[in-house]
Formats: sequence, structure tokens, C-alpha cells
Amino acid sequence: MRNLEKIEYQPISVREIVLEMKNLSELMIDLAYSAALFNDKELAEDVIDLEKRIDHLALLLEMHIMIAARDPEDAESLLAVSRIGSAADKISDAAADIAAIVVHDIGVHPIVTKIFENVEERLIRAKVTKDSLIVGKKIHELDLAAKMGVDILAIGRNKEWIINPEEYEIIKEGDTLIVRGSSLGTKRFKETTEKSQNSGVK
Amino acid sequence: MPQQYPVEFEKIVEQLAELKNTSELMMDLAYSSILLNSTELAEEVQRLEEYVDRLHTEFELRVLTSKFTNEESKGFLGLIRLGVAAEKIADSAAQISEVILRGLEPHPILKLVIKEAEETITQVRVTKKSKLANKTLRDAQIPEETGMWVLAIRRGEKCIRPKPEIVIEPGDILIASGYAEGVEDLKKLAAP
Repeated sequence: MRNLEKIEYQPISVREIVLEMKNLSELMIDLAYSAALFNDKELAEDVIDLEKRIDHLALLLEMHIMIAARDPEDAESLLAVSRIGSAADKISDAAADIAAIVVHDIGVHPIVTKIFENVEERLIRAKVTKDSLIVGKKIHELDLAAKMGVDILAIGRNKEWIINPEEYEIIKEGDTLIVRGSSLGTKRFKETTEKSQNSGVK
Repeated sequence: MPQQYPVEFEKIVEQLAELKNTSELMMDLAYSSILLNSTELAEEVQRLEEYVDRLHTEFELRVLTSKFTNEESKGFLGLIRLGVAAEKIADSAAQISEVILRGLEPHPILKLVIKEAEETITQVRVTKKSKLANKTLRDAQIPEETGMWVLAIRRGEKCIRPKPEIVIEPGDILIASGYAEGVEDLKKLAAP
């Protein structure tokens, strides 16, 4: 049987709850697809953990909505919040379903790599080499979104994944990065990250 | 060396990629429909939902009839499940857009969450004479010229994400958001 976490009311704002649900659910989709693409069990397990966090938030949201509705007008306007909360929850469920393919050893046929060559938003995995230009840099210093149109979703370090790393996280040699972005952006990022002294890439 | 696969697999690849792209686009459009309180965008999401449903069925049939080997069956189950997940994401987007279509006033908190902005939505069809026709979105410089941001390009039944390298074709419908002042500018630009 599943071990369910106890839940109790917490005084955090509805805005914070929905914001976290929206952000997390979208991140989870990319992480789940990455786990399927790279057949990475650890990453898939992390997605399933995040799903538990969303479930928790969804219950908190429900409680807050119950307390907040004082009249029919409140109820109508809060219904929209509740529907969107439930949609974010469903999105995270879908991500967890993708992760489960990997965790339960079903796996995805190798043509999946071809599929990911056909999608607009690419997901790539890059190993940070010693001579990489980004070693020792904080994520925000790289200004990736503006310069390359890419975004670091997770850092694999010491056999663990740092999910959605903070802006001040420093990139280290040997890190595995999961990055999302356009086809050109991710290609350039991989070149920069996996650069070796002899490759001549400037 | 890239591995060679049977030709039947190519269509599978194409359709699953399309399912993934469309479902994610729908999410963006759905949240935009809430942010902008736009029936138009919400309806677009619903249209895409119907498209995804059809595509998903076609995809599943194609997978099931693709003559994969016994050894490949697990991998193909994985593909089917990826399709199901994409469809679920599309469903969730449709659920978000339903808020608008049912006439619920989006709670102010939602707009804060999706980023408050006093923007309006417009759809314009690009004519042959337009300066935008046959230009990439990057070269078209729509935000610079009009202050409007393209959220989606509708081309026939497809909805295309507005990546900079996409070429705008005559007949395309641009769905854009921005300040009301930009609407006329965009219309002039798209259909002079």
C-alpha cells in the first residue's frame, strides 16, 4: 500500500501555491521527457517525488479555497482557481506517467531519439568538461536564456539530480546538465559545455 | 551511426512529435487565454484539443499496426504511453481554457500568477501583399514594429509555435497579444 503523507493546513498564500503548481508541473513535463529520452531512472524517480509535492499543494489549495469562499460570487471566481489547480495537478500526473515508463522498466523504443529530433523544444544532456567555458560559473552569470535561448533544468552531480537549480549554483567539472531550448541554442550550448582544449571552439 | 528504421516508423515519429508540440503549445495558449481573458484563444485551445484527439487515435492505430517485433513490444508500449501522456496534457490545457468558455471571471490571483498584463488579443490573416509574407518571424520584427507578440501561427489546421526561424506564409493567421494600440499597426502590417 502507498504510504500517504499527513496533510494539515498551512498559512501560505493561494498565489504562492498556484504559482508553484504551475511552475513545477511545467518543469516536470520536461524532466519526464528527458528521463524517457535518456532512459534515466534517477531522474524519473525525482519526477515522481515532485508529483507527491504537487499532490500536497493541490490538497492545500483545496483547503484554502474552502476557507476563502464567503458568498456565491467568491465561489464562482474561486472555481477558476480550483479548475486551474486541478489542471496543473493533471499535467503533473501526465509527467509522472511518463516517468513511470522508465521507473517500471518498460522503456521507450529507441526511435524516441528520432522523435526528439522532430520537436520544437529540444532536450539535451551535456557533460561539463574540464576545459569548458562554463566551469566555475554561476548559472545567472551565464545569462543562458538571453545569449543562447536555453535553460538548465537539472544538474546531475554525485549521482544525484539538482532539479531546477538556483541562479547562484556553480557549474562544476563532471556535472551532467539537462538543458532545454531551441535546436540551434542547445547545439551551441553542448559545444560550449563539452569543449575540450584541442577542439578549437572559441 | 544513426540506426535505420522501417519507413512505417517515420510516421510514428512525426505524429508523436506533433502530439508533444501541440500539447505544450496548448498549455501556453490556455494560460494566455486566462491571462488575457480571451475567448478566442480558449476556443483555439478547444480546436487543438479536437485535433489532438484525432491525431492521438491515428497515432495509436499506426503504432499498433506497425509490425514491430516481439522484442520491440515493450518499447512500443512506452511510445503508446508517451502519446497518452501528451493527450492528458492537452486535456488539461483544454480544462484551463474551459474556465473562460464557461464565462467564469478569472480570479485576480490567476492573472498575478500568469503575470498581470493589460493586454489585448488579436488575430490577423497575412495577405500576399504584406511585408511579413515569406519572412522569418525574426526578420519580420513584429514586436519592434507593433509592440505585439505572436503567440501562435495558425496554418490550416495546424497551430505552429512562433519560433524565430519560422517563415510566415501568406494566408497564415497570427495570434498576437499586446497593448491595444498595437492592434491597428499589426493589422496594417499583415493586411495592408
